[in-house]
Amino acid sequence: MGEPFLPAEKAKLAQSSVLLIGCGGLGSPIAYQLAAAGVGRIGLCDMDTVDLSNLQRQVLHFTTDIGRLKVESGAAKIAGLRPEVAVELHPVALTRENALELFARYDLVIDGSDNFATRYLVNDACVLTGRPQVHGSIFRFDGQITVFHPGSGGPCYRCLYPTPPPPGSVPSCAMAGVIGVLPGFVGSLMAMEGLKLLTGRGNTLNGRLLIYNALEMDVAEVQIKRSPACPICGESPTIHELIDYELFCGGVGE
Amino acid sequence: MSLTEQEILRYSRHIILPEVGGRGQKRLKAASVLVAGLGPTGSAAALYLAAAGIGRITLWDPGILTPADLEGAVAHDRSRVGLPRARSAREPLAAINPEAEILVLDRESDVAAAIPEYQVVVATAGDWRDLQREALRHGVDAVFAATHGSMGSAFVYKPGHPCLACIPAEKALAAGLRPEGEGYAIAAAAGVIGVVAATEAVKLILGIGSPLTDRLFSYEGWDARFRESPLSRRHGCELCGVE
Repeated sequence: MGEPFLPAEKAKLAQSSVLLIGCGGLGSPIAYQLAAAGVGRIGLCDMDTVDLSNLQRQVLHFTTDIGRLKVESGAAKIAGLRPEVAVELHPVALTRENALELFARYDLVIDGSDNFATRYLVNDACVLTGRPQVHGSIFRFDGQITVFHPGSGGPCYRCLYPTPPPPGSVPSCAMAGVIGVLPGFVGSLMAMEGLKLLTGRGNTLNGRLLIYNALEMDVAEVQIKRSPACPICGESPTIHELIDYELFCGGVGE
Repeated sequence: MSLTEQEILRYSRHIILPEVGGRGQKRLKAASVLVAGLGPTGSAAALYLAAAGIGRITLWDPGILTPADLEGAVAHDRSRVGLPRARSAREPLAAINPEAEILVLDRESDVAAAIPEYQVVVATAGDWRDLQREALRHGVDAVFAATHGSMGSAFVYKPGHPCLACIPAEKALAAGLRPEGEGYAIAAAAGVIGVVAATEAVKLILGIGSPLTDRLFSYEGWDARFRESPLSRRHGCELCGVE
């Protein structure tokens, strides 16, 4: 019970690489915790700058970082904790043009993004490059987290959510609010799942979706299955390359 | 206590939530929380309490920051190795939230005496029974939380509910609520439990949701399993004394 990393697992982590999509609420604990565990190379992908309204939950960023690129602010904190980590900065929008090439350079992708277009793009690029993905999302007091890896028999994001919600039907964090501690819980769980995928130890959330409510302090587990009809990881896939995700999601960013 | 224009912007994602609102944010600002232990669990909790807008946070830890601490505890920085752990953790908290008052206690004897001043105690280390006894005596709510390796637990004490000493010894030991406090923990696992502790503190201050009273909440990281086991007051408990 409660075993720490073994020396061989630490060596594996030092040789491994992770691409973190988003250095916001979810990305904050993930960046700290991957670095603390000794992951060798961490790519930070986020084109945003730090805003005052982020600081209530994005603990990777300080008040003096307001206006600074989040990837730069994040890299500074990682260096303070563990200077040996190779941090690669990608202060760009993730697009259909750059995603495949970027994903191919990392062992694992962790999706800490906050919009549907990016989630479908991350999913498709992970399936096409064979990369496992840790997925998490937050809303007010609720969170969800799972691992998607069709390569090892589990479902992908499209198996679970074949179509995006109608544009405007799901309000953003700015519109709906979010309790500041929520991404800390979901992001920490995501980091732990990432470390398990990298070391190959333990039972990951592949095929299991955790549903969290902070007000009740309740975690429910739902079994999720791969869909044979999935257009990207199913039996006869129809998606063989990345598509226009803004269009797919109705042109709404959040 | 009112909120400045800057604070309204800073906490806008909270204020828009009906469960928090401007009133709740003012409550958080007026609140004072003691975080006992700035190891893996306490440092995660402390970061989120500062970000959430708790007005006064006191950090207690008599230990000195070592390089090994940096593997599990994320509020620290290599440049501060050799400093008292509480002082090291103060830096990111103050940097996240310069408006909050962040105090440091770094002597073994300081902690119990300080308890009556706080609305909530987040206990992740120290003499647990001492902390529980003082919380009992002064009617202060307390969140107990600890992580060992990949496994951690948390529960909430409120007056009238089961206390630390009501939990059977083997159960407390298995949950990691051990007299010697935390050892090594994986930062991600401690992050889960530390944030649970911070979440419970925020809920207690706001008076929202269902607190973790009467139940012990546990997480095991390698299996990604959560467990909840019921707690009840023990007759003849030497601390909370139900006859």
